[in-house]
Amino acid sequence: MISITFAILLCLLVILSLVLLATRGSSVRHELSFRSDVPLYNETTGDPSLCPPEFAARIFSPADWTFVSGEKSRDVVRLFQHERRVVALVWAHQTKSAIHRIMREHTRITRQSQDLHLATEARLVYHYVQLVAICDLLILAIQSAGPSHVGSLATYAALLSQRFADAQHTLAITTAARELPGASAAH
Amino acid sequence: MTTTKLITVQAAYDDFLHRSLSKLPCDLARLIYLASTRDYNTGSYHHDGLASRFSPEVAAKALEIAHRQVFVQLSAYSLEELVEQLRIYFESSQDGAAEILRTWQKLEPYRIAIPVEVNLAVARLFLSNVRLALAIWRSRQNRSPQDH
Repeated sequence: MISITFAILLCLLVILSLVLLATRGSSVRHELSFRSDVPLYNETTGDPSLCPPEFAARIFSPADWTFVSGEKSRDVVRLFQHERRVVALVWAHQTKSAIHRIMREHTRITRQSQDLHLATEARLVYHYVQLVAICDLLILAIQSAGPSHVGSLATYAALLSQRFADAQHTLAITTAARELPGASAAH
Repeated sequence: MTTTKLITVQAAYDDFLHRSLSKLPCDLARLIYLASTRDYNTGSYHHDGLASRFSPEVAAKALEIAHRQVFVQLSAYSLEELVEQLRIYFESSQDGAAEILRTWQKLEPYRIAIPVEVNLAVARLFLSNVRLALAIWRSRQNRSPQDH
């Protein structure tokens, strides 16, 4: 009896947490689209490319925080916290969108390809799932703790997403070359 | 773009760098100057001297590349470096620092200094950093008005 009650309570807790996260996520998105100078990237507008990793390092850099703290102005510190939070969220959303776009492009190519390498595909899907999860985690962490606490995870995500994009690009070129007329005869 | 045209654009870029950009005191001044060579309506770049030495098309391309390059460079600066850029820019201007600071905070003219087709997050970082650098200047000015 106790275990059933506990299970129900646990389920309710999980559902409540999920609802809370979803509501919070959409409200932050809403807030950002109003407060940010540049709109958030979405499927129809904006820049679909990945932000270069060196800029991710700059966005999450602790050096700026140290400099701003040294200014000893509460207003500046408050403005910095707000501005960096928004920029970090723009970066995380943009990275996630770019990863989705890369994966969609990859799916389109593999659908037409007749020579698939299962191991390579599995590795790519694994990296894709990992990256999306990291981006979601980053978005939550930036919202709750601020960008200064997630610098290393963001840098890791930036490098991994760049590698993911490069791998997909190489794969697309290889697939295209393999399917050129006469390519199989050449080997 | 053909190889010959690429070489010409490179020559125009080098010429512009040597004759105009290198004479400006800082990257922020370079960015403002480059943005001013862009037409507000069409977004195309124009520079009489460069166009007469090369061609309007080549000059426009060289200016576009220079604009993007200076923008990326400036966006990668730390806040401390950007505050320093503002200092050099204010000091080199004939208008007073207080006047420029007031106008920049009110009108945010640096927003139109962003080149077309730059990364969204980089553009947002740039705007945010300039806003912060101006706020730091304002706070310093409020603390010791006689210094600025």
